[in-house]
Amino acid sequence: MTEETLDKPVLTLRDISIEFPTPKGVVQAVKNLDLTIQKGRRVGFIGESGSGKTTTALAVMQMLAEPGRVASGSIDLAGMDVLALSEEEMRKTRLSRIAYIPQGAMNSLNPVMRVEPQMWDAIIAHEGNMDRTALKQRSDAALASVGLPAHTGELFPHELSGGMKQRVCIALGIILNPDLIIADEPTSALDVVTQRQVMQTLKDIQEQIGSGLILIGHDMGLMAQSVDELAVLKDGELVEHGTVKQIIEAPKHPYTQDLISSVPLVGGDSFLNPDRNADAPKRDSQEPLLRFENVRKDYGAVTALHPMSFALQGDTPQIISIVGQSGSGKSTMGSIMLGFNPPSQGRVLYEGQDVQKMSAAQSLEFRKNVQAVFQDPYACFNPFYRVNHALKFPFKQFGLAQSEAHTQQAMEEACAAVGLDPDLVLSRYPHQLSGGQRQRLIVARALMLSPKLLIADEPVSMVDASLRATILSNIYDLKDKYGISILYITHDLATAYHVSDYVMVLYKGHVVEAGPPKEVIGQPQHPYTQLLIDSIPWPDLERSWGDGRGEHDVEKLQAQVERASAVYRGDVAGFDLARV
Amino acid sequence: MAETSMTRAEKRQLRRLKRFDNPWMNPKLIWGVGLLLGIIALGLIGRVLWDPELVFTGSAPLKLPPIGFENIRGQSGVLDHPLGTDGGGRDMLALIIIGAPNTLFVGLLASLIGMSIGIFLGFSAGFLGGRTDDTIRVLADVMITIPPLLILVVFQSAFGDVTLTLMALLIAGFVWQSPTRLIRAQVLSMKQSGYVQMAQLSGASTSHIMFNEMLPNLVPYLFGSFIANVTTSIVTAVGLEVLGLGPQRIPTLGRTIYEAINAGALIQNLWWWWGIPTLLLATMFIGLLLINLGLDEVSNPRLRKLS
Repeated sequence: MTEETLDKPVLTLRDISIEFPTPKGVVQAVKNLDLTIQKGRRVGFIGESGSGKTTTALAVMQMLAEPGRVASGSIDLAGMDVLALSEEEMRKTRLSRIAYIPQGAMNSLNPVMRVEPQMWDAIIAHEGNMDRTALKQRSDAALASVGLPAHTGELFPHELSGGMKQRVCIALGIILNPDLIIADEPTSALDVVTQRQVMQTLKDIQEQIGSGLILIGHDMGLMAQSVDELAVLKDGELVEHGTVKQIIEAPKHPYTQDLISSVPLVGGDSFLNPDRNADAPKRDSQEPLLRFENVRKDYGAVTALHPMSFALQGDTPQIISIVGQSGSGKSTMGSIMLGFNPPSQGRVLYEGQDVQKMSAAQSLEFRKNVQAVFQDPYACFNPFYRVNHALKFPFKQFGLAQSEAHTQQAMEEACAAVGLDPDLVLSRYPHQLSGGQRQRLIVARALMLSPKLLIADEPVSMVDASLRATILSNIYDLKDKYGISILYITHDLATAYHVSDYVMVLYKGHVVEAGPPKEVIGQPQHPYTQLLIDSIPWPDLERSWGDGRGEHDVEKLQAQVERASAVYRGDVAGFDLARV
Repeated sequence: MAETSMTRAEKRQLRRLKRFDNPWMNPKLIWGVGLLLGIIALGLIGRVLWDPELVFTGSAPLKLPPIGFENIRGQSGVLDHPLGTDGGGRDMLALIIIGAPNTLFVGLLASLIGMSIGIFLGFSAGFLGGRTDDTIRVLADVMITIPPLLILVVFQSAFGDVTLTLMALLIAGFVWQSPTRLIRAQVLSMKQSGYVQMAQLSGASTSHIMFNEMLPNLVPYLFGSFIANVTTSIVTAVGLEVLGLGPQRIPTLGRTIYEAINAGALIQNLWWWWGIPTLLLATMFIGLLLINLGLDEVSNPRLRKLS
């Protein structure tokens, strides 16, 4: 490492400013950024969406979206002035000297071409036509270097899994041995288990070819485990830059401190204050609030959810977490509970009444009492209306409104309860608000209706990291202050650990481990739960993320997970899960 | 200070950007609407200032040229008939004053009826799904493959003399398919969207979801589709009229062209007889096209180019 740092830096950004002219004036996306990347070093760009991290990376490749432009400064790529290059020279530089690994590998490969010819195209575009066997040799070597068998090259992109596609993108990026690799959130679409494998592949290959690496992301844990240096960006400004060790152990800028403290850890201090405990709303029925009776869901030949039975009594407010990776059936469970999706077999009972066979009046009562917060806060508001429509309409629809003034007052109170200024947000259009503000409004909406049960389906997965803790504590308050029972569906074990009273871990539609969070997540026993917890990247340099391979023989692991039977760890009053 | 330091090119760009503050101030849209309003105004003001009785046969000398021209017989144009007269002695100016709005009326009415059918069927297919969806989709697909002119020729010859409204109704039967498919596709994708799910959670009725949540977001598509349909309807109507079908006693642009062709206006070099209606039709189509392009830019900001 030491003799490498003596080399010329791979990339020098000097006083870079990037602006976008818009009707409302010129927006400064990046302001006076200075940064040097040495050969063989991995540098993380961390910051919220809109902080300018991707914009900076795109400027290095001269691929800024119109009408963006580099207003001042210089970009030096190993002795070459990037900004002075003509379009044709830049085209030759891309990929051969700077490689870009995009966020959505799913959409970056040509769906009608096999993998191999796409790699050959890259070589031919830069080095001219060459012999087919030579091409084949190069592409096989590139695939092998990312740990994919050579026959992968003959497959079409849709025949690969998400992790494999992302690795193909990496192979494509390094095929010409670039000086600099820019990886733009390469794992954001992958689950934690695959994320670890892909990141490991990327680190290995980067070390092998000795290039510089820019890793763009917003996950402090992933950064801590993957890079040497960190550059923290906020509103287009570089607020802090240093080695990972410096930044994690002694962050200087308050924003960096926020970023680090907002990552919830398994164990450690809770970000919640569970002192108060409100009573659940009075219920007339002795029946459990929600009951699953042998519920099963098939999509064609695939069983998304295997028969499952449980009863949530609902007399004391509780948070039940359903944890699993994509494809585990957890969101299917959510939509079955809401009655959006009829089960293939079995019944879902709300206070003893089948959700699929309700009269109009019963259905209205069910809707009033079972509310939801969805994953995507951007889609939840009708772009045609001001945001208060989403709050006002259900309030009136369920007959809660006494007068216009009463509705207004209820809206303002709910906004204040989730920490929003009602005067600022209520009369805006959805696109004028940030994702975090919108998600908090959805929580405020649930609060106004004071349901008995709230189904929160990945409520924070699309919100910036620094806001996640705030929104989760808003949701937690619903239980705490207003006595609402909550089903929390998530892939994030660390948050589930803190908020829930009971955790169910789902794998391919089966419950594999269930019980109180301190036991299930604190001391997991099932191999799948263990794997999930191992795969979380921790913002803790002492704790190794593992090399992510030897133990990662996917097939062996799969067999192991499938052989193991479900582990039930202790019960909590008010929630009965039938053991299968 | 910032103003002065800008180059001229930058100032021009800024001015261009400012124009996008209000998307409706779109030059294409304004020109298009202007052209169409011009044709409507011609019809309205013309009826007041000119004598509409002049559209009847024999109200003036035959085959007079417009002012400033001479016909084959050496007659020059007169101020009483500034655009000349046709082979039956009808005044050309009066013909287009009455005829142009008629043609536009058929197009607008047919498109309006077609759109209404399309909205109704598209929503039903997308929202109800199942058997209803299958039926409507197959029906629309089959109708798209049938050339409308062929069927309409048969229909109109069977009806003989038709009124403008009846003609619009017949054409409307052939312009509902594409809005149906467009709206069905939009409804299908919107049905999965977060805000529709939110509305369902809010206990909203089906009609509330259709008309209050979905329809407002469809307005740009509906506008675009409506204008495209007006164009199709006018083309169809004029096509029928030029073949000698459609209303026999009411002047329309298409019928004037039919009569001109029939009376050998092309050979006798009576260019004003067929040329003036054609020019008006072209103006109409250019106006509609500009409106369509303009609306596209209004509803899709990405099309608003900066240069």
